[in-house]
Amino acid sequence: MRQVWLIARQEFIKYVTRRGFALSILMFPLWIVIVTMVPKWTGAESDTPRSHVYTVIDRSGGGFETVLACMPMRETDESWLEGAQHYAATLTDRAKLPNIATLHTSSPCGPAPDRPAIEAALNAARKPGAPAFAGLDGGPSLTFIGAPDYLRAAGNSEFAAAARRALSDAVPLDTIVVLSKDFGAGTDVEIWTNDRDPDFRDLIRSTLTRELRFRAVRRAAPGFDDRAALELSASVHVQDPTAAASGSFITDQVISIALAVILFVVSVMNSSVLLQGVIEEKSTRMVEVLLSCATPREITAGKLIGVIAVAITTLLIWGLILLLMMSVASADQAAQVLGSLRAAASLQTMPLLLLYFLGGLLIYGSLFLAIGSMANSLADAQSLLGPSMLILMLPNLMISGVIHDPNGPLATWLTFVPIYTPFFMMLRIASHPPVWQVWSASLLIVVTTIVMVQWSGRVFARHILSTERPPALGRILAGILRR
Amino acid sequence: MTDSIVELSHVTKRFGDFTAVSDLSFALERGSILGFLGPNGAGKTTTLRMMLGILAPDEGSIRVLGRDISEVRNRIGYLPEERGLYKRMRADAAIAYIATLKGMDRAPAFARARELLQGFGLGDFAQVRIEGLSKGMAQKVQVLAAIAHNPEFVILDEPFSGLDPVNQSELESFIRREAQSGKTILFSTHTMQHAERLCDRLIVLAKGRKRFEGTLDEARSLLPRRARLAADGDLAFLASVPGVAAVTPGTPYWTVDLKEGADGRELLAACFRNGVPLSHFDTAPPGLHDVFVSLVGGEAA
Repeated sequence: MRQVWLIARQEFIKYVTRRGFALSILMFPLWIVIVTMVPKWTGAESDTPRSHVYTVIDRSGGGFETVLACMPMRETDESWLEGAQHYAATLTDRAKLPNIATLHTSSPCGPAPDRPAIEAALNAARKPGAPAFAGLDGGPSLTFIGAPDYLRAAGNSEFAAAARRALSDAVPLDTIVVLSKDFGAGTDVEIWTNDRDPDFRDLIRSTLTRELRFRAVRRAAPGFDDRAALELSASVHVQDPTAAASGSFITDQVISIALAVILFVVSVMNSSVLLQGVIEEKSTRMVEVLLSCATPREITAGKLIGVIAVAITTLLIWGLILLLMMSVASADQAAQVLGSLRAAASLQTMPLLLLYFLGGLLIYGSLFLAIGSMANSLADAQSLLGPSMLILMLPNLMISGVIHDPNGPLATWLTFVPIYTPFFMMLRIASHPPVWQVWSASLLIVVTTIVMVQWSGRVFARHILSTERPPALGRILAGILRR
Repeated sequence: MTDSIVELSHVTKRFGDFTAVSDLSFALERGSILGFLGPNGAGKTTTLRMMLGILAPDEGSIRVLGRDISEVRNRIGYLPEERGLYKRMRADAAIAYIATLKGMDRAPAFARARELLQGFGLGDFAQVRIEGLSKGMAQKVQVLAAIAHNPEFVILDEPFSGLDPVNQSELESFIRREAQSGKTILFSTHTMQHAERLCDRLIVLAKGRKRFEGTLDEARSLLPRRARLAADGDLAFLASVPGVAAVTPGTPYWTVDLKEGADGRELLAACFRNGVPLSHFDTAPPGLHDVFVSLVGGEAA
């Protein structure tokens, strides 16, 4: 064990003191900047209002479903009125103008503004030379749809699963607003969403606040200036359970993709360094000195542990950099990323993520270690690395298919291809795959890892002192299967 | 055989159809220096690797320090043929790393590394990376790494390769000192002069088989004593002199092989009798080089 520790320590020091390690650390913030900024620079991401398709589950019996269902019309009216108010403030003679704010409806489902009357009043009062008023609709495009029956019928315990199903169904639904029985008495509103658009969240908040105020005013009439009614806004707090609990949502999926890609990048990056190190040791005969001090099993174990230590160090430093970058980002963005990270890596999923990460790293590391011990030079290694990389890269090409349907047949089949299991489980974990898949995939990862580590140990012992040409890929695969 | 450091008994090692070492047996006594000689492909490195436990013999047995090799790894020191060091490691760290792998604690290992470097005139280079050292310096560091943990048995594979004559001489002195301090040294070499100057015993291998084992004198006795003569005239008449085995003409020297017990005085007398004045005459025992060539001459890989 002492030899394993000493070799692991030496491997760790050897890799973290390389220039390449510092570069990989420095490249990370650059990578984050590119990933987050390029879509904005290229116009792929803009500040224009987003579209939403939403439904409402109102358990309060207070008729709030209707209020929220009216939100699209109300938003259109609000937007039109804002344009009218701006026209009135800048292009009309205010003395000639009636107060158009009084035409504003008080309830979301109240009568629509009398657009022709307001338009006529504005044009009558317009300053000389000002163009005629032509109202424009704006704001987000909102579509209300009725909740599916299974969602409406779902009790508290099964609601989370039903909500995920509704959001991942083919129906273009991206947001579910849930009002509890006690809504209006200080209870929060839950929003289940695929698209954490803060503007839409604020719109729901303001619509419900306005409705509560409106009802309070009606109750208190004629005391229109009732302070209690005006303070009602404080009682409506929109809670987003997807930020605290698990859920299959876009941001969480992005985090899952990021984790899976990071697993791949970190594994390949460190395994490549391991391969180069083994070839160097072989060519300088350093490996003979090591073999005179430790067994092949101790050497391979030490090397793999060293690589794990380097990978974990890399991740910790990247995590620190991410935190630093978030500290200078807006509070909303930081909360969103942290929320998604918590969703992807909750207390329940963290041990699994760790297992997938270590399993993936050891599987890739073992493969590269074996290739390094079979090769006499980097050129030799390339002949085996080329086809191996094509096989290892395959999961990256399948990401979109798996993300589209994280618990579908494609995702399930790919999950049970042994060398891909860690990658795809990391990708799918935020989508809550069936429990039997989680357990069987975890078991498969453990078994694959053990097989690969033992196989690489045997290959190392057999080939490390050999100067023969590396065997063909077919013979290598046969060696793994024969174990 | 009770004080044997190493005992090989009928050891055979095959790689597929190729037999690298065949039925090899020998023993090495404590405090001795054994020269392991043989042409390329003779099986020297395979035998050394088996003695280190890196390779397992297919047949026969090996005992080192009276035990199985796996139990005494830390009591063996090893210098591979090429520079087996991490290029980016500092000289002191490289020595200390091997010493810690051989069982020393970290702090004493570093202290020992610096002490050895100082003793070898490399004190100023302790903090320099191996890639920044000359080949000779790196070879010295490698030798020091092999003995830093104070092993009882040291295996040196081609220790003189890449060293200039001054460094070779220094290393020879070092090997002698280590042997005098009680260490048992086994080294392989292609350079016969080192073996002649250093070894108590020699083993000559060829094609995996032992061709000779014994002392330097025993090796020399394998070939007849020779005389070299130079003269203006023909010396073929020396073939009829008693005690002469063969006469070989050459330029500038004629070589005369003498039978056992004969000396060169009869040759001088014969030349005098025949009125042939000699410009050169000497007699010397055969060199190890000649013995080596005669033993393995037709079998070098």
